[in-house]
Amino acid sequence: MTAYPATGPWAAETGATIDGATDDASLGAPTPARVTAPRRDVATVDAAVSLRGVSVTFGRHQVVRDVDLDLVRNQVTALVGPSGCGKTTILRTVNRLHDDTGGKVSGAVHVGDLDVYARDTRPELVRSRVGMVFQRPNPFPTMSIFDNVVAGLRLNGVRSKALLRDAAESALHHAALWDLVKDRLHSPAVRLSGGQQQRLCIARALAVEPEVLLMDEPCSALDPIATAKIEELITHLAADVTIGLVTHNMFQATRVSHHTAVFMLGDDRTTGELVEYGTTEQIFNDPHDPRTRAYVSGEVG
Amino acid sequence: MAPTLLEEVLPPQLTPVAGVRAALERRRARPGGRAYAVLRWGGAALFAAVVVGLVISLADGSSQAFAHSGLGLLWSGTWDPAHLRYGAGVFVLGTLVTTLVAIVLAVPIGVGTAAFLSEFAPRWIAAPLSVLVDLIAAVPSIVVGLWGLLVLSPVFARHVEPFFKKIPVLEWFFHGPALGPSMLLAGVVLAVMILPTVVALSRTALSAVPVADREAARALGGTKWQVVRSAVIPGGRTGIEAAVTLAMGRALGETIAVAMVIGNLYTAPHSLLAPGATLGSAIINTFAEATPGLDRSAVIALALVLLVITALVNAGGQLLLRSRMRARTA
Amino acid sequence: MSSSLGHALALPAPDIAAARRELVRQTARRSLTRRRAASRAIVVVCGLAVAVSLAPLAALATYTIARGMHALSVSFLTHAPTPPGIPGGGISNAIVGSAIVVGLATAMAVPTGMAVALFLAERRGPVADAIRFAADVLTGVPSIAIGIFAYAVLVEPFNHYSGLAGSFALAVLMLPIIIRSNEAAMGAVPRDLWEAGLALGARRARVVRSVVLRGSLPGLVTGNLLAIARAVGETAPVLVTIFGSTLFTASPLGPLAAMPLTIYTDGTQPYPTAQQIAWGTALVLLAFVLVLSIVARVVAGRLNRRTR
Repeated sequence: MTAYPATGPWAAETGATIDGATDDASLGAPTPARVTAPRRDVATVDAAVSLRGVSVTFGRHQVVRDVDLDLVRNQVTALVGPSGCGKTTILRTVNRLHDDTGGKVSGAVHVGDLDVYARDTRPELVRSRVGMVFQRPNPFPTMSIFDNVVAGLRLNGVRSKALLRDAAESALHHAALWDLVKDRLHSPAVRLSGGQQQRLCIARALAVEPEVLLMDEPCSALDPIATAKIEELITHLAADVTIGLVTHNMFQATRVSHHTAVFMLGDDRTTGELVEYGTTEQIFNDPHDPRTRAYVSGEVG
Repeated sequence: MAPTLLEEVLPPQLTPVAGVRAALERRRARPGGRAYAVLRWGGAALFAAVVVGLVISLADGSSQAFAHSGLGLLWSGTWDPAHLRYGAGVFVLGTLVTTLVAIVLAVPIGVGTAAFLSEFAPRWIAAPLSVLVDLIAAVPSIVVGLWGLLVLSPVFARHVEPFFKKIPVLEWFFHGPALGPSMLLAGVVLAVMILPTVVALSRTALSAVPVADREAARALGGTKWQVVRSAVIPGGRTGIEAAVTLAMGRALGETIAVAMVIGNLYTAPHSLLAPGATLGSAIINTFAEATPGLDRSAVIALALVLLVITALVNAGGQLLLRSRMRARTA
Repeated sequence: MSSSLGHALALPAPDIAAARRELVRQTARRSLTRRRAASRAIVVVCGLAVAVSLAPLAALATYTIARGMHALSVSFLTHAPTPPGIPGGGISNAIVGSAIVVGLATAMAVPTGMAVALFLAERRGPVADAIRFAADVLTGVPSIAIGIFAYAVLVEPFNHYSGLAGSFALAVLMLPIIIRSNEAAMGAVPRDLWEAGLALGARRARVVRSVVLRGSLPGLVTGNLLAIARAVGETAPVLVTIFGSTLFTASPLGPLAAMPLTIYTDGTQPYPTAQQIAWGTALVLLAFVLVLSIVARVVAGRLNRRTR
């Protein structure tokens, strides 16, 4: 197996390598090149979240298989691909949301040093370190803006009023919402517009001070102006939080992300798999896998 | 449409298209459609007549009694047909007390059951369990009444009622001889009968809370109960209020089972262990002996009072249900 | 804007954030055991609630079966009651009486109810809303009030208890159940099927027959069966209309016996033999109602399977 360094200006930062295709030489048919994510022992990059060999199965249907992926610390990693390829499913393995939906997760997921699926790991603790923002804004409808923002803190047992107010103010600042709502913190959250509600949900997730923020197509239910505001927010947030962003809009990926992972349906047309993973620049300007090339040029998906 | 060759050659009335069109016109003009409309409108009119007739006949039948006793009929505490003194007060009180006991028992148990079935139980066990809980609703109330009278009543007389008498704090509620048939027993029997209603409606209310709210609470690190407390219960509150109100309406309308276990004493009860009477039980028991005329009119008046109270409570419940649906789509 | 916590800790901004993060982490970790324990306790309490909910059903079924079994025999079902104290009586009059009263009630209520359901399923507008409201109101009317209504209309003027009056009362009771369940079943037939039929030029009645009724048949059957199950078990309305009888009569024009009435009159007597008859009748009634409910459920299940 020949290994050569990836081309492009981002290569030095990520240390990604590309494995040439070999495998079954007797067949003579080349298998597609696969880009492997840096191994943890190489430690040239700080991975806030790492997935190794992760597959998710619902009943008898394997939704996604054998994913090796890293979310680089304090950077935005976009998960792109046509719908149904397992991007959201993979995202949800990080905060163990599949515990409730009945999906079986195999493989290893680590958040920092924490083994997410170890037997003695409490899912609630994982979720207080990994926040999530969903596709449709989902503020708690019966709560005020303030109560929504501090909901996560309260759920985790924080009672100190001073701490709650401090955290709420900081989170709302980070979500670029403070000036808008500072005078009506106790009005119902549902009175905000869609884009504002989504920023409220971001603030709510941030208030718990997570290391990682998972965002599942956060702009798909929003109008273009609100989308632009949130994209701007994402690029600013990345300095403090590691972000994993699922998006079906590849232009959004080019706008906000540093790394991109491309998912597609495998040859069996039922199971999704990670086709290529690298820096955003490389994926979109110089895709290595023919499937990636087809996707980014708009032929597929 | 350009004329076809055929249409050019033949006179217009004879072309195939015209023929088909004419046949259709003929069929449409047949009065068969009219009969169907009569059937539908007739059915609706008949139904409307029944509902209106119900109210009118009760009002008419009770007019004699109201003329005699005035509005005092509604709250006077004396029911003494021998002396022509009619007052529904005792029965209204009995109705309210037994319904209250039923609600106090059925709501916590019912909502807890609904929460378990909707939120905590794995799917494979929730479905058969909820079928079983619903099955009580299918049991005719006469059978529940028979069981209450012949099985529960002795148990109450021997064990349950003396047990309550021993609790010092509740003395105000539980005193007097423990005979079995009592307001307490009636309340318990009612609770058994309205439980399926509470469970089914509460379950609907809780399940209607969108998954998104639950996921949000979960993703923030909440435990199962925390998710229910912070997302599901606030979201389902109006639905549960509707469930309780409608269950109350169901309890109000239940007559035969209560009549069998309440002891039928027409004086105001001083304790939950004492026998009493409700509007329904009074109607059933006095109806047969009521002499035509004023007596019967008074019994019909009781039915009217019961009808009005039940209708008000049910209307309240329906309004709550509708406001919940409106709030969700708003 | 400096925060209160910032003042308290007197730290520069990034350190406040770090301090806050650490504080949240610790609180989350420390409170987790308590929160999980509380969650488990609540689940157990709710599980107990389920057990309590099911206990009455178990008790009802057990006692009715256990005590009713003693009374059951072929002669129990085929003989008329004997005078008190003489053994060997049965409830054949009650079974026949129930069949007559409920049968007549079904014959009255099902066509009317389906007609109203068709009306509601087709039309919108204030009239339909008023009718629907009336049906909702009628669902909540106590059965005794319906019985008194039937009494006032059909018994008092003729001074004569009759099975017909009882059938009328039961029919009024069944109407809202039939109307609402049938309307729901008909409404479930997709509107474009209706319109396709109408667009072909067919008469309304034809469309209804071939499209709507055929498509909603399982739902209609379920609703009607459930209404019948309800009517068979009702006591209060038949008490004041058909009055009951100890003789074997089969004419709807006079007083009739009925199973719920037998249970009521015999069950409230202090004699064990009478109570025995009550239990036997209760078992027969319960079995019949449960079989009807199960059949209705099976039919509804077939409906779901077909539309999937």
